[in-house]
Amino acid sequence: MTKTDAFIIHSSDEVPRRTLLKRFPVPRNFEVEPASQIKRGRAWPAPAGATRVKEFEIYRYDPESGDNPRVDTFLVDLDACGAMVLDALIWIKNSIDPTLTFRRSCREGVCGSCAMNIDGTNWLACTRYIEETDAPARVYPLANMRIIKDLVPDLTHVLAQYEMIEPWLQTGTPDPGRERLQAPEDRKRLDGYYECILCFCCTSGCPSHWWNGDRFLGPAALLQAWRWLIDSRDEATGERLDKLEDPFRLYRCHTILNCTRTCPKGLNPGKAIAEIKKMIAERQT
Amino acid sequence: MRSTPDKPARPLSPNIQIYRPQLTSVLSIANRITGVGLALCAIALVIWLVTAASGPQPYSRFQHVIGSWPGLALLLVATFAFFLHLCGGIRHLVWDSARAFELRQIYASGWIVLLASVGLTLLSWLVSLTI
Repeated sequence: MTKTDAFIIHSSDEVPRRTLLKRFPVPRNFEVEPASQIKRGRAWPAPAGATRVKEFEIYRYDPESGDNPRVDTFLVDLDACGAMVLDALIWIKNSIDPTLTFRRSCREGVCGSCAMNIDGTNWLACTRYIEETDAPARVYPLANMRIIKDLVPDLTHVLAQYEMIEPWLQTGTPDPGRERLQAPEDRKRLDGYYECILCFCCTSGCPSHWWNGDRFLGPAALLQAWRWLIDSRDEATGERLDKLEDPFRLYRCHTILNCTRTCPKGLNPGKAIAEIKKMIAERQT
Repeated sequence: MRSTPDKPARPLSPNIQIYRPQLTSVLSIANRITGVGLALCAIALVIWLVTAASGPQPYSRFQHVIGSWPGLALLLVATFAFFLHLCGGIRHLVWDSARAFELRQIYASGWIVLLASVGLTLLSWLVSLTI
């Protein structure tokens, strides 16, 4: 590691270094509605006979109880569970509290189900090593989401925003009666944009989406918008741009770039949005 | 969206209360804060010009206030805010042309903005104090 590497992040999978503050200096309940305020939860007992133990603070919310969300403390036996944060969650569910609720499927960073806020940044629990987490490791659901239970966010709104950019091929020319062909170099333009797994780490990490998420589409949907704008087979580019050209839908992006910093697939929503803005500017001249 | 009238609204997971400050978000909020601060500085500048136009007595009173230690400290902060906003603005201008979006470029340009602002602040004070 060279000297500047301590300051420069090269890839989104690098965990934060040299952070002065682990969170912004605002009160814990800053601008938080009463029902969302987090209470102190319970501390679960240490596993018997464990020698290597790691502490996890985990956000809990039980919709049946009517109580506020709380943060529970768990002690995980590192010798009994796998290497990833998701392994720790599964171990807790199997051996301490079977009611701990979270989404997971592929456990290899392909499905995007286990996206959550780990130590203050959004990432997939299955591709974050326990070793890389703070002591105690802090696990919250994706930021700024309505919570169904524990670590399970309600994605209805962000998926509706994704639907709004109409993520499918649109054509006006007659059906060629076979596949619509694409030159290899045209296909190559989609690299870095088509790989999105819709985990919504970026949209959930975007401060602009926190404050204007009802009308701002957010980085995940806009990255996909760009993916369809530059598809050589798509014939609705003008209509797509018309729908995006709006003070809120697109232009609430202030190039903060938390999205690019947090993408677990190493994609670049910030660049995609800048390209859309540029495309709109260019068609006006 | 479907409504569930019998149950209370779902809680909102924390956002700014837990999200880790990063160079990306910190410089963005700094650009906003300095923008607001510079707008106030513009008003102060107008007041300074008005006192200068109103005669030697109000002008010297203003000069006395701004020449005091708290006044000079405020002026130093204002100079830094000016350069941070200026350099940050240039960084955004480059981004508007869809360039320099690689993560390492985002971080490198962020640190350059910060260092350049400190350097330009010191330089402008050095120059103005020596002439």
